[in-house]
Amino acid sequence: MTAARFDDLIHPPTRLAIVSLLAASQWADFKFIRDSVGLSDSALSKQLATLEQARYVEIRKGFVGKRPRTSARLTPAGRTAFEQHVAALQDMVARAGVKIAPQ
Amino acid sequence: MDEEPYTGDAARALAEIRSRQQQVIDQATVPGWYWWAVGALMVVLAVGVDIRTPAAVGAAVPVFVVGLLSATGVAVRGQFRQARLHNALLDGRGVAAILGFVALIVAGTLAIAFALRAEGIHYPATLACLAGGIAMGLGGPVLMRTLRRIMLGNRAGSPR
Repeated sequence: MTAARFDDLIHPPTRLAIVSLLAASQWADFKFIRDSVGLSDSALSKQLATLEQARYVEIRKGFVGKRPRTSARLTPAGRTAFEQHVAALQDMVARAGVKIAPQ
Repeated sequence: MDEEPYTGDAARALAEIRSRQQQVIDQATVPGWYWWAVGALMVVLAVGVDIRTPAAVGAAVPVFVVGLLSATGVAVRGQFRQARLHNALLDGRGVAAILGFVALIVAGTLAIAFALRAEGIHYPATLACLAGGIAMGLGGPVLMRTLRRIMLGNRAGSPR
């Protein structure tokens, strides 16, 4: 069972959305993340840089044909931090007796 | 009273986590037309086998191979351009569902083909693959719905 640990770096809404997308992915394209979360290029770059600095995210730059392509993935440390954060959120909700109904 | 907004915030965060992960799962769904395309290609290959002339086999095999590669390429192109699903979402149940589906189609098609051949009916492989192709077209979306349900259940933040 994953230990619960609230993570202040992950919790802000924009970063939570980015990390949640990455948690379901082996890797995700920069444009996919940008369009899914609704950020500008620069805003997403800034958020990814913050996560990269914490060693939660790895950025990969490459080419598909002649087109540059940037993708991101969660590092093992980032995945662990995310899972612990989710466990912390679930604990909070469970302690308050709030049932989260499946969608 | 102080705890309420905090708890509400946690519940909202969990809902956001599930919703974002669903976005990744939904963009990876194989479209319905793919299963019908594979079914049609099976029939093309079977026609080549049933006619049994080198020209028929020589035409059917490349059509099948190129068609299958093209259809698969188009169907999964979105995934490779956007986001590739994490393996953990598809657990043993998902793998079992995929293998079971393939085994069912192959076994069913072969059984029908051999039965038709034993009865002396012409074009047994074509007729069997026609049945297999229809099963593929109808069953593929059912398989995808099953896999989607499994993956949604394996999302982080799902009720425990």
